[in-house]
Amino acid sequence: MIVDQGVLPTRGGMLVRQLRSELRWMLRRPRTLIGLGGLCLVPIVVGFGVWLATRDEGGGGGAGLEGILRGNGLVLPIFALFLSAGLLLPMVASIWSADGLAGESQHGTLRGLLIAPVSRVRLLVIKFFGLAAMSLFAVTMMAVVGVVSGIAFLGNDGMLTLSGNVLTTGQAVGRIALFVLLITFQMISIGAVGLAISACTEHPLVVQASVMAGFIVFAVLGNLPSLDWLDPFLITTALPGLLDVMRDPMPTEQLWDSTFLAACYLVIGLSLATMRLVTKDS
Amino acid sequence: MTTSTSAPATAAPQNDGAKKAAVAARTRGLRKVYGSTVAVDRVDLELPEGAVLGMLGPNGSGKTTTIRMLLGLVRPTQGEIELLGKPLPEGAEHVLPHVGALVEGPGFHPFLSGRENLLRCAAFEPLLPSGSVRQAVEDALERVGLAAAAHRRYRGYSLGMKQRLGLAAALLVHRKLIVLDEPTNGLDPAGTREIRRIIADLHAAGTTVLVSSHLLSEVEATCTHVCVLHRGTVVAQGELADLLQAGGSALQVITPDVEAALTALRHAKISARPLEEGLRVELTGTSAPAVVETLVHAGVAVHEATKWKTGLEELFARLTEAEESEHSLSAVDTLDGGNR
Repeated sequence: MIVDQGVLPTRGGMLVRQLRSELRWMLRRPRTLIGLGGLCLVPIVVGFGVWLATRDEGGGGGAGLEGILRGNGLVLPIFALFLSAGLLLPMVASIWSADGLAGESQHGTLRGLLIAPVSRVRLLVIKFFGLAAMSLFAVTMMAVVGVVSGIAFLGNDGMLTLSGNVLTTGQAVGRIALFVLLITFQMISIGAVGLAISACTEHPLVVQASVMAGFIVFAVLGNLPSLDWLDPFLITTALPGLLDVMRDPMPTEQLWDSTFLAACYLVIGLSLATMRLVTKDS
Repeated sequence: MTTSTSAPATAAPQNDGAKKAAVAARTRGLRKVYGSTVAVDRVDLELPEGAVLGMLGPNGSGKTTTIRMLLGLVRPTQGEIELLGKPLPEGAEHVLPHVGALVEGPGFHPFLSGRENLLRCAAFEPLLPSGSVRQAVEDALERVGLAAAAHRRYRGYSLGMKQRLGLAAALLVHRKLIVLDEPTNGLDPAGTREIRRIIADLHAAGTTVLVSSHLLSEVEATCTHVCVLHRGTVVAQGELADLLQAGGSALQVITPDVEAALTALRHAKISARPLEEGLRVELTGTSAPAVVETLVHAGVAVHEATKWKTGLEELFARLTEAEESEHSLSAVDTLDGGNR
């Protein structure tokens, strides 16, 4: 028989314990580690590729963001994140949101948590926290790897902006940090929509497939000229605007627009997830 | 305790008032409809505090659905639930910490070891102080005999080991109520005995236990109370002994002179009917010695006389088959109330 020893956790103490347990659980998962490893490879591969190209051609080539990578290592984390934000990061976010509710439901562990008991609203808070914390961790890690491999492969002469001037390393790190936060927020908002789907099914694959399908459909819709009026509502069209962090002085209008759009997706996603979860039979 | 077959609703009011505090769980008019399927209907369950209630029923009789509603996992379409004195689902946060459960088989993450899985469960137990989480996990593992395999991944566990881990999760904290849905599924005879021992220990410690099973011998061996579900409704509930008694007891007499015996008994107004190698004498309003005496006085050779114990199996078969055909009406007559 287990005799209770020590003080029972308070409500807040309990929440901290639950959040820690959630993070621990996510980090123990092999696919999380593989995913994080894969994301880290992106800036390394891009850095290596550009380094190879530079060495062969001895300058010239490349347009836009890729063109200014040369001798400009601090742009690499931004370039790598921008590349990944198109499909890779949303996919990772969808995996985490899929595992969060649908996966737990599939393994029968959701029942255990609800009986413990964890209220359904708190369960969603825990799951959203896990998604947010892991997203921030993944994006930050990519940025750090990006900075290191950028400097290693391409050198660091400060950050050459899209406006043509050069930022100091300190300013550049600030811009990278801002970009990390913006991309993380985009990723979380997609994950929140994923959580809403995740609350409706017990097949994680359905969640991932739906998020990916939605993303592709949005990209197609965004490319149809006759549907231009739809663009402000598509999360996929928010990404290019975020590159404004690479301009100097930095225009903030598009940054706000993109972030506001992501916030809308986030609120809608979490609301739907809550509505579904509180009435769900498990 | 009442034995009710047709109108279980009559059982609940009798225990109202004075005995109210002594009920660990109670449901009234519980009904759950999935689409067009009625999974559970008019279930009035009563689980006395300190009892070991065996919930019996064929597959699909609504056992698991009832348990899921009792634990607040499923919202009933209709009806009330009271768990440890609090209504559900409103009081879930207060009472569920005192309830340990193994529902619909064990649910754990395959990539984590048994110990890590339990640590995760323990982190969510409000009654477990943070300092004693690890110790509680070790104790629970020890208790179900999984300590040696605790470091292995759940993926590689046998069915019996998974079942034990599920039980360990229910035993993490000292509970007031333990709910076990088919706990002996996939266990070998030794494992089954261990589950029986654990249930007996819990019972001895004053914990209320609710066990669902389709194994009658299991329920007969471990339970003090029984509730029989059939097609989503309670067809009988009460103390095990009462239910068996209500099934009627009889005496099996082995004799070569069946005709003479029947005549003698008829004269003594004792009901009996012939069997293949003797006769079955109903012990209603008479006793075994009186029957034997009557027979001996009539000059009937009695080779053997055995008390016919109504097994749970017979009772169960009667109750669940009663609704299938009207022919079996007479069979359930012996149960008070009879068939609807």
